[in-house]
Amino acid sequence: MDRLNFIAGRLVKGALIVLAIAIMNFFIVRLAPGDPVSVLAGQSGAMDQDYMDELRQRFGLDQPLIVQLWIYLQNLFQGDLGTSYRQGRAVLSVILERLPATLLLTISAAIISVILGVVAGSLAARRRGTWWDTLISSLALLFYATPLFWIGLMAILLFSLVLGWFPAFGMVSPEKEYTGIMHILDVLHHLVLPMTVLGLFYMAVYARLTRASMLEVSEMDFVRTARAKGLPEGYITRRHILRNALLPVITFAGIQAGHLIGGTVLVETVFGWPGVGRLAFDSLLQRDYSVLLGIFLITSIMVVIANIITDVVYTFVDPRIEVKQ
Amino acid sequence: MSLVTRLQQLALVAAIGSMSIPAFADEPVRGGTLRMIAQPEPPTLMLGLNQQGPTQFVAGKIYEGLLRYDQELQPMPGLARDWSVSDDGLEYTFHLQEGVLWHDGEPFTSADVVFTMEEFLSEVHPRARGVLAHVEEIEAPDEHTVIFRLKAPFAAFIQSFEVSSAPMIPAHLYQGTDFRDNPANETPIGTGPFKLERWEQGSYIRLTRNEDYWKEGKPYLDGILFNIVPDAASRAVAFETGRVDVLRGGDIEYFDVARLEQMPDVEVTTEGWEFLSPTIWMQFNLRNEPLDDPRFRQAIWHAVNRDFIVDSIWSGYGKVAKGPVNSASPFFDDSLPDVEYDPERAIELLDEMGLEPNRRGVRATIRFLALPYTETYIRMGEYIRQQLQQVGIELDVTQTDVGGWAQTLGQWDYDMTINLLFQYGDPALGIQRAYVSSNLVKGSPSANVSGLDDPAIDELLTRAATESDPEERFRLYSEFQHEIVDNAYFGYLIEAHFPTVYRNNVRNLVNSAIGLNDNMAEVWIER
Amino acid sequence: MKDLIKAFSHNKAALGGLLFLVVIAIAAVAAPLIYPHSPWQMVGAPFQPPLSGPHLFGTDMLGRDIAAGILYGARVSFLIGIVSTAVALSIGITVGALAGYLGGLVDDALMRVTEFFQTIPSLIFAIVIVAIMSPSILSIVIAIAIVSWPPVARLVRAEFMSLRHREFVEASRVLGVPGWRIMAFDILPNAMAPVIVTASLMVATAILMESGLSFLGLGDPNLISWGYQIGAARTMIRTAWWMSFFPGVAIIITVLCLNLVGEGLNDALNPRIVRRRKA
Repeated sequence: MDRLNFIAGRLVKGALIVLAIAIMNFFIVRLAPGDPVSVLAGQSGAMDQDYMDELRQRFGLDQPLIVQLWIYLQNLFQGDLGTSYRQGRAVLSVILERLPATLLLTISAAIISVILGVVAGSLAARRRGTWWDTLISSLALLFYATPLFWIGLMAILLFSLVLGWFPAFGMVSPEKEYTGIMHILDVLHHLVLPMTVLGLFYMAVYARLTRASMLEVSEMDFVRTARAKGLPEGYITRRHILRNALLPVITFAGIQAGHLIGGTVLVETVFGWPGVGRLAFDSLLQRDYSVLLGIFLITSIMVVIANIITDVVYTFVDPRIEVKQ
Repeated sequence: MSLVTRLQQLALVAAIGSMSIPAFADEPVRGGTLRMIAQPEPPTLMLGLNQQGPTQFVAGKIYEGLLRYDQELQPMPGLARDWSVSDDGLEYTFHLQEGVLWHDGEPFTSADVVFTMEEFLSEVHPRARGVLAHVEEIEAPDEHTVIFRLKAPFAAFIQSFEVSSAPMIPAHLYQGTDFRDNPANETPIGTGPFKLERWEQGSYIRLTRNEDYWKEGKPYLDGILFNIVPDAASRAVAFETGRVDVLRGGDIEYFDVARLEQMPDVEVTTEGWEFLSPTIWMQFNLRNEPLDDPRFRQAIWHAVNRDFIVDSIWSGYGKVAKGPVNSASPFFDDSLPDVEYDPERAIELLDEMGLEPNRRGVRATIRFLALPYTETYIRMGEYIRQQLQQVGIELDVTQTDVGGWAQTLGQWDYDMTINLLFQYGDPALGIQRAYVSSNLVKGSPSANVSGLDDPAIDELLTRAATESDPEERFRLYSEFQHEIVDNAYFGYLIEAHFPTVYRNNVRNLVNSAIGLNDNMAEVWIER
Repeated sequence: MKDLIKAFSHNKAALGGLLFLVVIAIAAVAAPLIYPHSPWQMVGAPFQPPLSGPHLFGTDMLGRDIAAGILYGARVSFLIGIVSTAVALSIGITVGALAGYLGGLVDDALMRVTEFFQTIPSLIFAIVIVAIMSPSILSIVIAIAIVSWPPVARLVRAEFMSLRHREFVEASRVLGVPGWRIMAFDILPNAMAPVIVTASLMVATAILMESGLSFLGLGDPNLISWGYQIGAARTMIRTAWWMSFFPGVAIIITVLCLNLVGEGLNDALNPRIVRRRKA
């Protein structure tokens, strides 16, 4: 029951944050110089002032800002994120079309980085001082300092251009017209490089965190007690150390959700991955405000959800946590 | 490519001496999918509502115009099988093809043409609005005849029916609707040789053969696939690894073109841009000091080595532009003076103006609004900044996105920028707008943003537009070109020759003035 | 302080990192002496590979020296890293100190704002800020500062909360010292240790973020930077790998050294770990 109250409280807080983000996004993006009508005018070859005014009126750009905000919020509640100026289609459907690709990329990168990071980190902690530890710690330090986009470029150079193992861009090979299982394999083949590149940084983070936190926990009193009782070391590691050492990893995974989504802008741009990150950058260059607003809102909601999930998972993992609002 | 096919091809080469000599292989065959790249991804395929480059490229296969134009810009039949112009230049009569069906099976008739011109394009198409302002009335005496009556002679009118200038729109789907919100925009219906099959946003667009196309036996291809690849290096890789057959100009960096051209069975052409004839120029804001002084503008011309831009930045895919009218136009005057690269002369001119260098060697600082289209334009901006610095002109660069660039330009809030001007056939259609004082309106980047206000130029351009005698028009446009260059109102850099890179088993790829933007009904793949 | 230096110099990796940073900083400052011409100037044939002729790391598509660009780029990276961290620190310390010292409603309100800023995906947020203000060194610094202050605020708040009821603070309060003086001169100095550690890591993150922005074409167009070099070289990766390789290595080395220094500081300043080290 306490847990339900706790979750309800987190949901309300999350909703308020989303509302605040909606309002702020609206103002930031709308106050920018360069409205979408001038972009259309710039690329159409010729456009007269009357026609531009007509378009502005049509898009509601001639209304006072506060009216535009009110209309925006009203529509938002009905799931209407507006119309893309550039594509003339509903923003929600433009984003939803791209969302699966991004979810596939981020979730697989998150999973692979948590698993490999925790495994590597605990390996380094258990073999502290050996060359395993040195190797893992050095690699983690290195990847922690490497820009995503650069390692992406180098991966393309090595694995796509020189070795030819993986495709250099995109998510599918449309010219092959694959269906069924071949289609899935084709997507996975395209996924390997961007997923690994996006995951590497976080793998490094998790490895470092796991190692540090396991070393810290292993010197705590309850572990000493367990050792004194003569329990086997493997059992202690699994039952006591790892479980407690995972807490900071979980916290961090929640905090990192936003970073991970931000990282997709770079990775999707480098790998031509047809997701929301690339859409965000394209929309920015085209001043397609409503799409940008939508992406902000949806990625922020994703972060809020990720944080709530983290908090909830935390209550299950940590026996000591107080469950209260 | 397998060794066997490679050997077969070598044998073929040996047999006919050279691949370029037409041989038995020149009989068109049906079938095959042509794989190309659309970049950036078009915002929509509804050509009537959007005429950005990629939209023209993809939707040009779905929609058609009344006329097509050959590489000398002479009209050819499109949806109109023939046409005539009255002696006074006021009445244009078009006879339409018969048996033309829209992609949904409805017949295409003169009612569609009248709707398109009178209602649709005059509301939503910025360029067509300008042309249609010359039209008094449009009449359809029968199902296959359309007559346009003009208010006054307008020689460029016959150049206004290319597919992106006036795409034919189905009246049965659009009449009486809100054009921009019409659900049919997502499933474009045209009369063209290809129909939209599937558009996977961010990945690809697939067009499929229109089995009921009005031209017997056409198109040859089964379909066209447009890959969406956002990065130039990946696009080059896609071509190298055989995932695409054709690269358009701008798809890849120019130095990569030279590399790909070395590959076997690959050809490069710069044809097919005659209609657009892009000229890249330095646009000055003539209202601001010191750019209001012709000597300063001449100094900028002299400081920039345009041969270097052509050879090194554009890898030779272009030629030095002499003036406002592209040399591909029949109105281009070859007698224009050549402006030499001469930094010494530039410094002399600046000295003459009394602009002395300060401690850092800077004589004047002007704001430069960089054009962010592709890497090539950014490099060009960097080069010009470096060159001007050497004669003591410092550029304070604003780098923005396309939206910010267009806005800043439209608000006249710049000193100097690089711009790309498409000619759209006749000078009255594409060039005039940037030079006449009647177009000195704030807000639109494609208006006269530079503040050029010269009654002599206004007079020349207005007379040339309404004159019907070609020789007299040439004389007027020639005078215009000299006037502009003599005053160095703007700095003309390069006429871009966008290269098309393709595998030589793709035949008949470019056969009109709009090149790859055309409908590709005649394109076939040799096997 | 002596203990701190001793503890820090005990950590060989951190010391090495610091030395390397000093070398890079000197090279950056001395860039005009080593390469008197502007890094934008064309000094050789285009696309010269590394070690060919006078160009250590080769030349780019216009014949500009890559090594010169890296040295001048170091100035931009350091400048942006340090200034944006300073700005973020001042925002974060102010917010955190007020929240932690005053508590109650002020704390609640400030922490909601902090949480709010933490929720927004930071890179996307930074991209939008820079694009809207149009790219310049100022807009980049502002963007990076805006997205990186919240962790500082939380850290400072926690320190202030634990310190505000200590005897020396209570004593000042009884003496009638104004609140701002107590915050600035009594509590803050005692809360600085973890802030300094965070600051060194923030400089590293800021350098990474600046390179990401420049890579996407959102760098200051008047200044050469590492991210710009990689971004501009991206389409040429097949023809000229060195154009993007070396600037990337420069970023990695700098960020790595900053991280090592940060860890060294952390170990030196964190008594618990020091104790364990001795044990």
